[in-house]
Amino acid sequence: MEELMENLAQCRRCGICRDAVYEDKGFDGICPVWKNTAGFETSFMRGRIQIAIALIEGRLEKTEENAESLFSCTLCGNCTSICAAEFDPAQCLESVRHVLKEIPNEVRDTIAKKILENNNPYVEENKTRRDWVKEVGFDIPCTGEVLYFTGCTAGFKLPETVIATAKVLKAAGVDFAVLEDEPCCGSVMLRTGMVEEAKKNAENALEMIATSSAKTIVVTCAGCLKTLREDYIERFGFDLPEVLHVVEFLKPLIDSGKLKLKKSDEIKKITWHDPCHLGRALGVYEEPRDVLKAIPGVELVEMETNREAAMCCGSGGGLRSYDGDLAKKIAADRMQDAEEIGVDILATACPFCEHNLKDGASSMGSTIRVVDILDFLADSLE
Amino acid sequence: MDKNIITELSKIVGNEYVSTKADILLTYSVTASMASDPVIPGAIVRPANSEQVSKIIQLAAKYNVSVTPRSGGSSLQEEAIPEPDGLVVELMRLVDIKLYKELRSVTVGAGVTYGAIEKFLKEHDLFIPVYPESSLMCTVAGQVAVNGAGPGSSHFGCTGELVLGVEVVLPDGTIITTGSEANPYASGPYQRYSFGPDITGLFIGSLGSFGIITKVSMKVFKRNKFYDYNTYGFETHEQSEQFMVDIKQHDINGVFTSLYEGPVLELFMDMIGEELGVPKHNWPFSTVSMTIGSVREDLMKSDAALAKKLCEKHGGHVIGISQLPKQEWNGRFWFFVRACYVHGWHWRTLYHHQTPTNAHQSIEEIRRVMDKYGFLGHTAGFVTGHSSFNAYPHLYFDPQDPEDEQKIRDAHKELAKTLFKTGAVPFKMAEYWSDAIEGMDNYMALLELVKKTIDSQKIMSPRKLGGF
Amino acid sequence: MQKLTAIVGEEFISTRKDVLLTYSTSASTSYDPVTPGAVVKPADTQQVSEILKIANEHKIPVTPRAGGSSLQGEVIPKNDGLVIDLLRLTGIEIYQDLRSITVGAGINFGKLDKFLNQYDLWLPVYPGSSLSATIAGNVAVNGSGFGSPKYGCIGELVLGLEVVLPNGEIVQTGSEANPNAPGPFLRYAFGPDLTGLFIGSLGVFGIITKVSLKIFKRMHHFDYNTYGFETPQEAEKFILQCKENEISATWISIYEGRILDFFLEMVGEEYGVPQHDWPPITVSMVIGRVREDQLVSDSKAVKEICEQAGGHVIGIVELPREEWNDRMREFVRSSYIHGWHWRILYHHQTISQWHRTLEEIWPIFDEFGVLGHTAGFQSGHSSYNYYPQIYYDPQDEEDEGKAKAAHKELVKRLFKTGAVPFKLAPYWVDGITEMEPYLEFLRGLKEALDPNNIMNPGTIPGIEGVE
Repeated sequence: MEELMENLAQCRRCGICRDAVYEDKGFDGICPVWKNTAGFETSFMRGRIQIAIALIEGRLEKTEENAESLFSCTLCGNCTSICAAEFDPAQCLESVRHVLKEIPNEVRDTIAKKILENNNPYVEENKTRRDWVKEVGFDIPCTGEVLYFTGCTAGFKLPETVIATAKVLKAAGVDFAVLEDEPCCGSVMLRTGMVEEAKKNAENALEMIATSSAKTIVVTCAGCLKTLREDYIERFGFDLPEVLHVVEFLKPLIDSGKLKLKKSDEIKKITWHDPCHLGRALGVYEEPRDVLKAIPGVELVEMETNREAAMCCGSGGGLRSYDGDLAKKIAADRMQDAEEIGVDILATACPFCEHNLKDGASSMGSTIRVVDILDFLADSLE
Repeated sequence: MDKNIITELSKIVGNEYVSTKADILLTYSVTASMASDPVIPGAIVRPANSEQVSKIIQLAAKYNVSVTPRSGGSSLQEEAIPEPDGLVVELMRLVDIKLYKELRSVTVGAGVTYGAIEKFLKEHDLFIPVYPESSLMCTVAGQVAVNGAGPGSSHFGCTGELVLGVEVVLPDGTIITTGSEANPYASGPYQRYSFGPDITGLFIGSLGSFGIITKVSMKVFKRNKFYDYNTYGFETHEQSEQFMVDIKQHDINGVFTSLYEGPVLELFMDMIGEELGVPKHNWPFSTVSMTIGSVREDLMKSDAALAKKLCEKHGGHVIGISQLPKQEWNGRFWFFVRACYVHGWHWRTLYHHQTPTNAHQSIEEIRRVMDKYGFLGHTAGFVTGHSSFNAYPHLYFDPQDPEDEQKIRDAHKELAKTLFKTGAVPFKMAEYWSDAIEGMDNYMALLELVKKTIDSQKIMSPRKLGGF
Repeated sequence: MQKLTAIVGEEFISTRKDVLLTYSTSASTSYDPVTPGAVVKPADTQQVSEILKIANEHKIPVTPRAGGSSLQGEVIPKNDGLVIDLLRLTGIEIYQDLRSITVGAGINFGKLDKFLNQYDLWLPVYPGSSLSATIAGNVAVNGSGFGSPKYGCIGELVLGLEVVLPNGEIVQTGSEANPNAPGPFLRYAFGPDLTGLFIGSLGVFGIITKVSLKIFKRMHHFDYNTYGFETPQEAEKFILQCKENEISATWISIYEGRILDFFLEMVGEEYGVPQHDWPPITVSMVIGRVREDQLVSDSKAVKEICEQAGGHVIGIVELPREEWNDRMREFVRSSYIHGWHWRILYHHQTISQWHRTLEEIWPIFDEFGVLGHTAGFQSGHSSYNYYPQIYYDPQDEEDEGKAKAAHKELVKRLFKTGAVPFKLAPYWVDGITEMEPYLEFLRGLKEALDPNNIMNPGTIPGIEGVE
């Protein structure tokens, strides 16, 4: 707590985290929530930090309403990227959510409950997340050296992406396993401050993962990647095999020619949306771009903001559940960035992003196809 | 705040843009001003355009509610701290930009930051050549309301010198435009001095006390293309100060000319030298760091060559380290913000202007106060136009130590008084200057008279302007 | 009268008929003379202050006057009013390290130029009336002239003012508001720019007793040339490009062919300008620099810019050179050589609208059957200062009537082209209805600063309260 307060005191309330346009460094606006709401001080990090300090110090009553600004944030970290002070604002806010857990938040509690009970935030019958295997056209074991961990959102909401990933792995000659009963990584619990519950879930998840005997874990979801790689290993100190995003895993296989891609006469204009948990959180910017560029017929065009300064899709940090309308609005805004550069396809590597961006696209009538990079890769298989 | 007022505000801007929520009010009780007491306002309103601002002010006048205009919220002298239960009018939604290429001018709404206008103008190979260090979060209108300076000022003067006119909503709701656009047929802003007394100037540095600036028109220039960056070392204050005067006298385009005392530069480089790529150096007693910028290469080269000669003429030597000035200029959106926050302390600042040949007096005064009160701090400064030097002392304190903070508040108060006695002047009449000044009765009486005339109900930013 | 005499001494106050007659007019031709009640010549600021206190107490209208060279009736007194002649305030104080100077209200540009020349310095803006007008007076009307293309109007050079308010209080603006300041070095000090209130105020807010100004190292390297163009648009483009590319032009003037012919018919021989078949549009330019290599660079660049804009270098240097070298007298000379008196209508256009004024003026001359011309010069960042002159025979009342009528109509039409005046002379207020809120604002300030309306009443009628 002392360290957290010392960190929060580093905020000098300058406001750079609001809408800075710093062209030389690629920033064109910072906070997607400020941009897509009525824009009061509480809608971006400067205000959130003031609220956090006031709640912790007791100057503001610990009510659900007073704590709204703590949760209407995707924790995208763009503010951390631009902040000139020596602390990590987004990281601090995540800690604040933990420290102020006592403040009621039904959405947060419900999700945590579901995950602990069902191993996923979506449905009661967890095993249905493996149903896609029937459509893939080949058998997939439950144990193996390489474990493909689909993640809840891909498994339940974007099975076509999971199928595409499986096909690509197979085409690359990779023998992989998929758990019979896959747990939830617990990312959303961590982001919303339910750290104790998340730890409990993590212990359970590790047991379930251990049943695969895998030496390498490959994930589809950037959220799972950050959670398993950073939170489980670095933060909780758990023992885990190497965790890679499927794109990181496949890159050497594409470079060496093991994964064969078909030639294309048609040029497709594609842009890459950096998921916050792949990009800013883990520094993975170039691998996915290299993979895209290696696909024949791809013309890669960058959106105005990309890499460290990329605007968030709007669904992370629990915002999608906490305020779905806002999340979609932010997604529509991000799709507008893609519209402005005239691309046919927006590719990314996070089912949270894809799910939300697809909603955003349809809400503003965009005809840009939102795909997972693996969807696209699968299409390009020879 | 009276529920009727809230209802009427909602009618003007829509429910979405008015708030009385406790958490929101709290976030508007502070700004970037450190060692400052928060004050909880009664309501926040976020208008979309000048007409809405006008209606809001009329409403405030009707109910005698105090009004605090606010845009970036990055000001350091408590300019945008509200009145208890007062109304904060936040202007970030006024984001229109209109460029008049042939008039070499641009008009921006009160919510346009320097970062945003820089990006816009760059596409036309233009710029507004004076950048506050807070460019990424500060709006042009806000900067005009406080009147500041920064990189660029060494050649182009303070922000106020670039203003061609303002659109302002007066305390009774009347909207007036000053400068050439007072003529509704004018093709745009092209001449500040129009129609008699210079009213534009009244609002420069007015701290919101005379009305709300909703638009500002500024001179724009073709972007410089050719730069020279260098550092010059001297053994005495007199040498470096005379050098700074001579640079101006000889028409050298120093767009940013800053002065550092040896120990201050050491401290500075300890903090961020590595980050900025400035090589280690045994800095002399006094260093001038200068960026020369020009639209033509031969002019730049001529300036650079002469600068070296003048340096030697005044007993100095060319240090040759270009990374420092290069970072000062190229990093002008970031360099100082970063330097201000990297070390962890909060601080009070006390911008003021000295004559270039008095720059050392500020340094001496600040050092004296630092010793007396026992705190850390530093000061450096830069040339700000024809003949002035902007010093910006930072008085550090631990934000989590109220005793430390109080020390700084006391030191700050005293420093204002003693700096005044050295002949220094502030751009803006922030509240704490009113205690520090002496022998300015008639001036203050005139200022108060103007204030009373323009804002008879005293609703606009009370006490911000010299305590009025 | 007794009280005033006690302040200045008998020698410096007069109610003699002949003296009063000479103060009933100024250089403003075709303005009706008005006889004041007394003329007083104070020695210093303190005396001015005491005088104003008395005037305020007795509600006597006051007309401050220095050079008496103004052209818009600014110093025509009120009937039986008090004229305060400021020519005895002749203090000069130079602050070399501050690159500034403070002059009393009685110092004219010629005197100041000579003083500064000793130090190889100058005040780089010269109104046409330099040998007669005072700096303070020029600030009170806000003027411009030679040097303005680079340095803007005189207002832009002001660092602070010492003014005496209608109630007698003496106020110092700018950095010198701090009594500890070593001298004038920054205009923007202590908040709102009060200095600006008095720039162009025509004496209605108080009396300027001292002006502090920026001074500069004198230039010794000059390039003089003339540039020809086929269309106004090309010339306008040329000038904009010169500004953008930092050509250090201290004088830029655009002449329509027929006006230049007319002008040179009058003064060409006197100034040694060779005969020439002038193109439709000529730009006469003086480039000045403190360093020779800077000048070489500008001279080269300006030719390139001229050609890029579609023009050609004419090469006749005498026109700009003689204009510049005689800058303290040239305008006066060319204004008086022909024999007519005239009404003038200073205003600013944008550079790219330069041709609009011409489009309005020629038809007016025809409509009202008057003679005249207009020329002008670039004046700062982005404006062009015009000074159309409407001629009349001073001994022909009908002719004068025509000129007045033409002047009245011209101001309305110029306003509609988007032109603006530096100062708010009465005829600008008369013709204009679209500026009510602006004038209302000025009115508020006027009422507050001068509740008894003693300061130059009638000079800016639009801002005085309804009586």
